[in-house]
Amino acid sequence: MKRGLALYAAAAYLFLHIPLLVLAVFSFNSSRFTVWQGFSLDWYRAAFHDPQLAEAAWNSILIAIAATLFSTVIGTLCAYGIWKRDAKVLSGSLYLSLVTPEIVMGISLLVFFQWIFRFLRVQLGMHTVILAHVAFSLSYVVIVVMARLRTFDATLEEAALDLGATEWQAFREITLPALAPGIAAAALLAFTTSFDDYVITSMVAGVDSETLPMVIYAMARRGANPVVNSISTMIAGGLGALILFSERLRKS
Amino acid sequence: MTRRTLFFTGLAGAAGCSRGSQRRLNVFNWSSYVAPNTIPDFEQEFGVRVRYAVYESNEEMLARVMSGNSGWDVVFPTNYFIEPMRETGLLAQLDHRRLPNLNQLDKPFQSPAWDPQLRWGVPYMWNATGIAYNRNLMPPPEAWSDLWNPALAGHITMLDDPVDVFAACLKKLGFSANSRNPEELRRAQQQAIAQKPLVRAYLNAEVRDQLVSGDVLAAQLWSTSAQQAIDASAQVAFVYPKEGFPIYPDNAVILRESPRKELAHQFLNYLLRPEVAAAIVVSARTATANGGARGLLPETIRNNQTLYPPPGVMSRGEWSETTPPAIQRLRDRLWTEVKSS
Amino acid sequence: MTQLRRLFLAPASLTMGVLFLAPLAIIFVYSWLSRGVYGGVAAKATLENYQRLFDPLYAVILLRTFAMAAVATLGCLILGFPLALFISRAGARKNLYLQLVILPFWTSFLVRTYAWMFLLRDTGLINSALQSAGLIRAPLPLLYNNGAVFLGLVYGYLPFVVLPLYATLERLDKNLLEAAADLGAKPWTTLTRVVVPLCAPGFRAAALLVFIPCLGAYLTPDLLGGSKTVMVGNVIQNQFTTARDWPFGSAVSLLLMAVVMVLLLLLIRRNGEELI
Repeated sequence: MKRGLALYAAAAYLFLHIPLLVLAVFSFNSSRFTVWQGFSLDWYRAAFHDPQLAEAAWNSILIAIAATLFSTVIGTLCAYGIWKRDAKVLSGSLYLSLVTPEIVMGISLLVFFQWIFRFLRVQLGMHTVILAHVAFSLSYVVIVVMARLRTFDATLEEAALDLGATEWQAFREITLPALAPGIAAAALLAFTTSFDDYVITSMVAGVDSETLPMVIYAMARRGANPVVNSISTMIAGGLGALILFSERLRKS
Repeated sequence: MTRRTLFFTGLAGAAGCSRGSQRRLNVFNWSSYVAPNTIPDFEQEFGVRVRYAVYESNEEMLARVMSGNSGWDVVFPTNYFIEPMRETGLLAQLDHRRLPNLNQLDKPFQSPAWDPQLRWGVPYMWNATGIAYNRNLMPPPEAWSDLWNPALAGHITMLDDPVDVFAACLKKLGFSANSRNPEELRRAQQQAIAQKPLVRAYLNAEVRDQLVSGDVLAAQLWSTSAQQAIDASAQVAFVYPKEGFPIYPDNAVILRESPRKELAHQFLNYLLRPEVAAAIVVSARTATANGGARGLLPETIRNNQTLYPPPGVMSRGEWSETTPPAIQRLRDRLWTEVKSS
Repeated sequence: MTQLRRLFLAPASLTMGVLFLAPLAIIFVYSWLSRGVYGGVAAKATLENYQRLFDPLYAVILLRTFAMAAVATLGCLILGFPLALFISRAGARKNLYLQLVILPFWTSFLVRTYAWMFLLRDTGLINSALQSAGLIRAPLPLLYNNGAVFLGLVYGYLPFVVLPLYATLERLDKNLLEAAADLGAKPWTTLTRVVVPLCAPGFRAAALLVFIPCLGAYLTPDLLGGSKTVMVGNVIQNQFTTARDWPFGSAVSLLLMAVVMVLLLLLIRRNGEELI
């Protein structure tokens, strides 16, 4: 059975990785059709020369950084607070947001923003996208940091308090450093989910806030555009490298 | 940690602000509906930056614009959308003093049925819907009913547009494409539902690539998009169905919410220049409402049967009309049911 | 502690309240209103939206969504469990194998869905390869149907299944397995009579982890199903864009939320432990 299992695992891994590998290989294909006709960087050049793509990529990065910062800070503090003593309504809504389908989150935020904008003279834009991303990534951050907190020895904090530290000092000097790997992991999770999000972003984006996934989606719907292959490869490669790099950091 | 947060947020804000330093115009148009130099030339001449985004359907555009707070200045609805948009207070009245080039419009468009005084929109380009197909199909399609042929199952697409799909169904049944009769509309809906299993997907202009690659053998498609596909592949052909077809004029309108109406008028006036309109026709393969431009067109395009069908064919066409609200509600409901079935 | 704790919880409470609960409250209100003439919301109360939910047309969609999600979940569990088993027995290389599962999951979901479009379309790689090998003459219609959607869902959520199943397997008491072996059970029997039943809570949690997102799936049926509106997620999206019927869309969204919450409660009741 061991051999059968190993064989099966090999097949499963192939299934998981082949589609992306195929995309990567064909992103270097000189022909636009699925017949290999020679190595070429044309599609990468085309991707880099597309101003719309460049702006969308820049938007995506900006939004991801901003959303990650906010959700990591808010989420870490929240996780610590809940760890001290549970806040029923807050944890409940965090769990609920975890299982809420993306499309429901997206349309509810759209409706909310449109309603609020009747009173303020604001429009959908980068700010609404960032707010939306913070909303949906908060629960991820809380969960990851909570998991880390569960392995943390509370007596260390108590010892610090006994020695005369304030609660804030204990948190900052003792707990926070111990949580650092968990916070980093949470931030990474928040970043990748924000960067990749299509459904929620497409509903609340404004005139000036087109993101990379929105561009990819439009191109994918339009049909056989090989530039999508190169963009996809770069995104997959980029995010993959980010993960591997962070894992390397974690180990060291 | 707080200091870093502030720094990055400030950076983000700064980045956002710096982009707004030049005068701006936000234009939302159908895909592939301008020439490569149309927007850059405008930007250069008027010293502004244009944000130009595209949509594939009127509904997509309206969903964005409906809030009255979307950020767009100029959009291009088809004529039957002008009335509803005006009713819901979305449109700004046009100032003819700022549009001296209005006299360039072709005769039929100077006082059109949907906007006799041209108070709300400037006719831009017009399209008709027909069938784009692969020449390998034998016998070639000639009528809407050919799109119900089971032999083509999985290789037919219809437009993702309720007006067009129902128009095809209504014409197939022998009714007017602008029918307001609920009974006729319901029967048309049943036709659409019956056809659905044969339909590969509901696609608008994006079906071009699939026609060219041969994935799709017959598609309900607008004449402009069809011509673009024909240009890309000699295998693609276009026909205006025997039973009749709808004709749609698209118009440029200025949104009431726009804080840049002066610049928007300048843009509309720019689009009315014959040479600008002619360049768009040549590059995007459209049929223009601009009479001055028609004179500038090369022979091959002026006589192109797909874009400018001969009078015999045109007589089978029906110009699209606005539907009264109650019927519009019915149509919207019927379409949702077709899509959900 | 309470002072600092309240300070710490405040931003999160504000965020959740304003950006999650308030929006849900608004769509709850909208679900009782009517559609504006040309779209949007009109301030006229009505039961119509909820009545429409009972229309056979939408009941069919809901059932179809359930069925697709169930089949996809089953597929994920069946395909994922042997993989989790393999990893848990892999000894020193465990972490590496786990990484290999997680890696595709971390890269963009959209990109991975597009990858399948690239493979399955008529001029895609699979058809080209089969055609040049002479095995088929005309391309097979692999894209724009339920099969493609099912494939996309399984592919997308397989890592979601492997991780919790692996975690459950790791927590198994190895002594029980040894005891079974000592009593003469063959590996296959140990697997089916001991391991699988002991993993039941893990199976249930993993199943829900996949089933719920599949219920609300939007991108996969949209891109791989040809937007012929197959699942509930597509209906909701359609109501808020093309159909511009916000009240009805709100009602459908709330229905979906209700179903999800019921499932979650059932799982908590059954498993009786902390979910995450």
